[in-house]
Amino acid sequence: MTEPFMTLDPPDTTVITGAGGWLGTGLVASLADGAWARPGRLRLLVHDAEATRIEPSDRIDVVVGDITVPADVDRLFDGLSGAVDVLHTAGVIHPTSMTQFDAVNHRGTENIARAARRHGARRMVHVSSNSPFGTNPSRSDTFRNDEPYQPYLGYGSSKMDAELRILDAAEQGLDVVMVRPPWFYGPHQPARQTTFFTLVRTGRFPVLGDGGQRRSMVYIDNLVQGIVRAELTPTDPGLGWWIADARPYTVREIVETVGRAMRDEGFDVKVNRLRLPDVAGTVAERIDRTLQRSGRYNQQLHVLGEMNKTIAVDISAARRDLGYEPEVELYDGMRRSIRWCLDRGIEL
Amino acid sequence: MRTIVERHHDCDVLIIGSGAGGATTAATLAEAGHDVLIVEEGTWVPQGSVTPFSLEQMEQQYRSGGVTVALGLPSIAYTEGRCAGGGTEVNSGLYRRPPGYTLERWRANYGIVDFATDDIESICDEVERALSVQTVPGEQTPASDILSRGAGALGWQHDEIPRWMTYPESGRAADGRRQSMTETYLPRALAAGARILTEHRLDRLVMHRSKALRAELTSTTDGERPVTISFRDVIVCGGAIQTPAMLQRSGMRHRIGRTLAVHPTVKLAARFDGEVNTPSDVAVIQVKEFAPEISFGGSASHPGLVALALTDNWRDFGHAVTAWPELVIYYAAITSEGRGLVQSVPGMRDPIVTYRLTRRDRDLLGRGLARLALVMLEADAIEVYPSFRGAPVVRSRRDLAAMTSAFSANNASVMTVHLCSTAPMGEDLRRCATDSFGRVHGTANVYVNDASLLPDAPGVNPQASVMAIAIRNARRFADERSG
Repeated sequence: MTEPFMTLDPPDTTVITGAGGWLGTGLVASLADGAWARPGRLRLLVHDAEATRIEPSDRIDVVVGDITVPADVDRLFDGLSGAVDVLHTAGVIHPTSMTQFDAVNHRGTENIARAARRHGARRMVHVSSNSPFGTNPSRSDTFRNDEPYQPYLGYGSSKMDAELRILDAAEQGLDVVMVRPPWFYGPHQPARQTTFFTLVRTGRFPVLGDGGQRRSMVYIDNLVQGIVRAELTPTDPGLGWWIADARPYTVREIVETVGRAMRDEGFDVKVNRLRLPDVAGTVAERIDRTLQRSGRYNQQLHVLGEMNKTIAVDISAARRDLGYEPEVELYDGMRRSIRWCLDRGIEL
Repeated sequence: MRTIVERHHDCDVLIIGSGAGGATTAATLAEAGHDVLIVEEGTWVPQGSVTPFSLEQMEQQYRSGGVTVALGLPSIAYTEGRCAGGGTEVNSGLYRRPPGYTLERWRANYGIVDFATDDIESICDEVERALSVQTVPGEQTPASDILSRGAGALGWQHDEIPRWMTYPESGRAADGRRQSMTETYLPRALAAGARILTEHRLDRLVMHRSKALRAELTSTTDGERPVTISFRDVIVCGGAIQTPAMLQRSGMRHRIGRTLAVHPTVKLAARFDGEVNTPSDVAVIQVKEFAPEISFGGSASHPGLVALALTDNWRDFGHAVTAWPELVIYYAAITSEGRGLVQSVPGMRDPIVTYRLTRRDRDLLGRGLARLALVMLEADAIEVYPSFRGAPVVRSRRDLAAMTSAFSANNASVMTVHLCSTAPMGEDLRRCATDSFGRVHGTANVYVNDASLLPDAPGVNPQASVMAIAIRNARRFADERSG
């Protein structure tokens, strides 16, 4: 922990939305008794009581509710006293219908920010994304901390609208900041990420063109570090930072590294042979765009459409302002993810 | 200056064109004792006799009164100087040495021999002395301050680019006097005995096998009178559009006019609280945070050009034109992966130029324009008017999303000033039109010595590269062809 940066004490209560999700689960584990364990109460909002793997305790309250329902959001703040921080991780990335994007990511965030202000929260951290900024215009381009909005499809627009509501809330007096993780990975992963490992193991991961596209990724523990630092380091409200691993990776490197990590964990990994022409990504993107315009969403097409893009970010502002220093890189992070799956008997 | 009126002329070395390539070539050869005749299609307009960047200047010193168009989707507007001194007389005079990695790329990819970076750098030293290349000693214009302020607020790298200018006591940017070719290398050439024939246009070189025998020209002022010139060697320096057209008209085709390279630009006008427009000068700051792929800088912003910049969405932007003193025009330039064609067509005076942007080029233009708009907002612009059809007025970051979603390169006013690479030099016959010193492959006495030789776009203002390479080649020529 770097003293000059994290000068705020942990709050009496930390409110965490999306606590049953991939990031939320990891964040709660870390704050409860992990690397960033803190005293005080954790109050968690989960969407579905059965989905959460966290047991309530004398320190942990679990509120079942929906951020799209203002009454649920109010219940989240019921009876809290002392310093309250809000870590807003709830969001939908692969929805069942297009209307969920706006309802959850945009309006849900607005509800949380409004409630945080009304209940006098000390500080709020909103987990945004790279998607309000789209994709880099060329392979060698890297997003600086401050970029013009250029949202990528429905998800990007909803996450941009969420950022705009956060900026409104900051103007209205809420001490709120944003972290922007790109594609993340690590333990607590949902089923779709298991597919990722299976595709690599069987040599069927779709590499578009020569695989030289650059992608920033963030290991979940690095992201948790970024969130905690953004929460406990006093800054002007309304700021945002990229939180990612130390450097972007090429898609080729990602597939090669994951293959190596799996091999080193005892898997028989086939050489990756699925090379698609670059244009396949462009075609997938066009179809995805057309579908989304008519209110439909197809996860496979969406992921494929993004695969031939470069999404590379520069974390120097987080280093400078928050003292953020990512501790895990791709190979180690992937080995930890694989082991996490194996420990739980998940087949890859 | 001697002006010549006979119908037939003789010389040892005929130089076609008097811009950055032709003027430096003429001075180098004349000072080495060669008998040099320069032919220039435009007129000799002394520096200071016309207001820089004015409509009057466009009329007098540019081809076709200012703007010519390369066909394609989108069509790309470009400008060419047509006067003694060529582009150096009318451009912003910003001077950038070719980066070391650019020279290395040219050497390696095109097989250019005897092309040591140190040698080019030492010629650049000479050029910088000859042109008084320097930064602004005194106060900069508001247009420069805006770029510094906006880029500074974002933590984006930006620099002042030196210019070929001398400054009076005041040292103020707007009082600089351009040290263009008519102030420097052309007077040197004439003092060393070179002659110049202005207002004459080359129709063609008459070839016999690999040898050029004579030049056929037309007077542009005197009733289209035909003129012939005999020579030992001819060096074509008409710039990246006219040089390949002239060579094609004379029957030379191999790799000529097939690889036009440019730095496409898109622009915006930004309005500020107070008077910021200096009609006779441009910003000397460039934002290099995303270089070489994307660079930002200032454009000429006299009232006529402000009006032009607002025409893409006149309904929403037109009201700003009367406030032109509060507006400045800026550009975002990219390095392009596209290439263009220059094709002379029998019966037409000007060649047809086509240029095709790649998808990456289009994405870079869009992102570049959005980042430039962000610089403007950070510099406290009140309103930003992006130059593309259907563009919204940008007043806040939120508006940038509307701007990026509305942007399409096909709807943009894409423009370029840095044209090059239509007769690339090097020993690789599959890629190059001339040898490593500008002699057209397959000819005995036809040379090129201008921006056409640069193998691809240098990623910076190209005229320093043009002059340094022209002087290098002229020296080699003087050594080989003396006596």
